[in-house]
Amino acid sequence: MSETEALETHLQELRRGTIVLACLRLLRDPGYGYGLLEELNRRGFDTDANTLYPLLRRLEKQGHLTSEWNTDEARPRKFYRTTAAGRRLAGALTDDFTAIADAIAALPEEN
Amino acid sequence: MNVTATLTDRYVETAMRTVPEKQRPDLAAELRASIEDQIDARIAAGDPADEAERAVLTGLGDPDALAAQYTDRPLWLIGPRYYLTWWRLTKLLWAIVPACAAFGVALAQMLAGAGIGEVIGAIVPVVISVIVNIGFWTALVFFIIERNVGGKDIALGAGWTLDQLPEKKERGAGLSDLIASLIFLLLAAGAVVWDRFVGLAYLAEGDGWMPALAPALWPGWILGLFVLIALEIALAVWVYLQGRWTPAAAAANAALNIAFVVPLLYLLTRDELLNPAVFPALLPAESAQTVMTILTLLLGFGAVGVALWDTIDAFLKARRAR
Repeated sequence: MSETEALETHLQELRRGTIVLACLRLLRDPGYGYGLLEELNRRGFDTDANTLYPLLRRLEKQGHLTSEWNTDEARPRKFYRTTAAGRRLAGALTDDFTAIADAIAALPEEN
Repeated sequence: MNVTATLTDRYVETAMRTVPEKQRPDLAAELRASIEDQIDARIAAGDPADEAERAVLTGLGDPDALAAQYTDRPLWLIGPRYYLTWWRLTKLLWAIVPACAAFGVALAQMLAGAGIGEVIGAIVPVVISVIVNIGFWTALVFFIIERNVGGKDIALGAGWTLDQLPEKKERGAGLSDLIASLIFLLLAAGAVVWDRFVGLAYLAEGDGWMPALAPALWPGWILGLFVLIALEIALAVWVYLQGRWTPAAAAANAALNIAFVVPLLYLLTRDELLNPAVFPALLPAESAQTVMTILTLLLGFGAVGVALWDTIDAFLKARRAR
């Protein structure tokens, strides 16, 4: 495995949980798959459709998101929204992320 | 004709093939909307329509893989949850069953009077098919378990405890090993002498105790046996003094085993090992020959099996002790 490949793998692992957190917090206002994908990338959460859509399904199955079809427009879209359980999960993840960030900041200096 | 729409149709349809029926309409609609959104975005960025569609679908990748991700279906034969259990069970079965099958087939063939070539010819395909079958059926069972217990962890691979740590392997060169060897060898020598002067075979009607070994083995063959026993004792002491089995000791052990088994088989096949007076006295004349043949074969197999095991065991101990 080359150095860039290894870097890619590690970055992917590091980011995996943060996408969940970002989705849960962004979907307090209902959103659909592609709109959310764009929003995530715009806000600096690098992700693609193959990752995002299965993730939304999983969160819905676990009860952290609910969904509703919106057929008002020409293209029917499935809108997702964070549930109360999802908000609690987002809170816990945010706290943990902050704790990790603090812990990393307290690590010996990088040189 | 709208070629670009056809590609998306085909992609969605292919992806839905492996999705459970009741999830299909919902998933298909969402996937289609997502693909169309992405195509629109690319066209808005200036791509030609058909190129945009190709790029989006290529980006989504293998539709079966995508569907598996959507439905949380494993894309492996046996995943990490059961892999270790499966592998341990397969190794255990491979270690036990083919050897038992080979032994059984060999014994049956010999009893049926087959020659050595026939016996080997019968063993090889049986052993190969046993190995392949164990591999296949074990994997199949775990494949089915992996797909049918859902998220539940059935107790198969769960609950590893400290008790399952393997024991530190015995080195087989301690004082208790030496004492056990000495007692066994002296008992064996004693039994031979006892057999000669008192007898180990008891005939209820007739002469009472009789020797089980042929009296004609005395003194030459039996003297040879005693020399072997003395050498075995020397070997046991040598291993104890070195504190471990060495490759040289294992080789000496193998040589002693050969020196014991080869004459034994020679005598067995010539019907010169057992006391010929015992069987006719013990059994009706017509079945005596059959019983003799079966007994000879069982003794031969037993001796070869024990010698093989003992030889391999010594080499394993020597390798471990390095």
